[in-house]
Amino acid sequence: MSASAEEFTPPRTLTELFLGFLSIGARSFGGVLPWAHRAMVEERRWLSPADFTETVGLCQVLPGPNIGNASLVLGMRWFGVRGSIVAFLGLMGLPYCWVLALALLYTHWAGIPMVSAVVTGVGAAGGGLFLATAVKLGRPLAANPFALALIGTCFAAVALARVSLLLVMPVAIACGLFLARRGRL
Amino acid sequence: MILLELGLFFAVLSFLTFGGVTSVIPEMQRYIVDVRGWTTATDFMQLFAVAQAAPGPNVLISSLLGWRVAGFAGSIVALAAICVPAGILAVAVARLLERFHDSPWRAAIQRALAPLVVGLVAAGGYVIATPGAPDWRLWGIALGTAAASLSSRLNPLWLMAAGGVAGGFLL
Repeated sequence: MSASAEEFTPPRTLTELFLGFLSIGARSFGGVLPWAHRAMVEERRWLSPADFTETVGLCQVLPGPNIGNASLVLGMRWFGVRGSIVAFLGLMGLPYCWVLALALLYTHWAGIPMVSAVVTGVGAAGGGLFLATAVKLGRPLAANPFALALIGTCFAAVALARVSLLLVMPVAIACGLFLARRGRL
Repeated sequence: MILLELGLFFAVLSFLTFGGVTSVIPEMQRYIVDVRGWTTATDFMQLFAVAQAAPGPNVLISSLLGWRVAGFAGSIVALAAICVPAGILAVAVARLLERFHDSPWRAAIQRALAPLVVGLVAAGGYVIATPGAPDWRLWGIALGTAAASLSSRLNPLWLMAAGGVAGGFLL
């Protein structure tokens, strides 16, 4: 494997960049990240695994939709502003058309009680997947009382008290940074 | 000017989106349903279901909401507004940070954000599964799906399909 470490080469043309991101967006059932890794690291070999992890990691620390951010950052790195636009459009183009088509279909049939019940059930299941994600992400924090207090307060403020995120986010980030800098998180 | 208001709302959300779009779902629902009354909580939930069932980035829920509020122009405005402002920031920071990516601040920010993201993602799950008065059938589907997801390695698409079948029988 180490012999092939230098075989990673960025896309050479905007067309190649566009097609690469198109192939990510088109296939990404159940989360984009695994497909982004597959397309850019394994299939097209644009990025080394370490470079991929680092770029995605940066996009996760910064605000914004992670994978959207990653497409803009990588497009910019390889081709400047044109690259950003091309990568973003490639990523979003097909999924945008599909999700809108599906929504049109749903709206057309939503008057049928059975359709509405099934779609509501899918929505509830999607909510359940969020809960599972929260548990998975929260497991490493479960032994830390400060982290648990922060998790509980965020949940209660946003889900139960319905306080605006505009207020919750700055306060919670300030508390989190304070605790993290003191080694409590 | 509903497009302008929609664009401003999603542009502000753009900077509040940490750890993925899932963390701002409760705020989208609060503003679009509770504050503005642009649609109902049930419709919000069903649009969310459509967005989850289609392939692609989660952020496309914003284009469905924009579409519901202001048609095709709304779908483009909402998607661009939630992606571009934070994207410009990310591009700027990425160029700046390429030199010192081992900064202790980066690790501190990551540790500080982790509990917030957990709390907000859980809040998203709760809000989606509670589109009105608490309904044990919806909570049952949500908790059953969560348990199945945690105890197996099934593809989430199967779990959502199972939720749809359960919805068809129960609701």
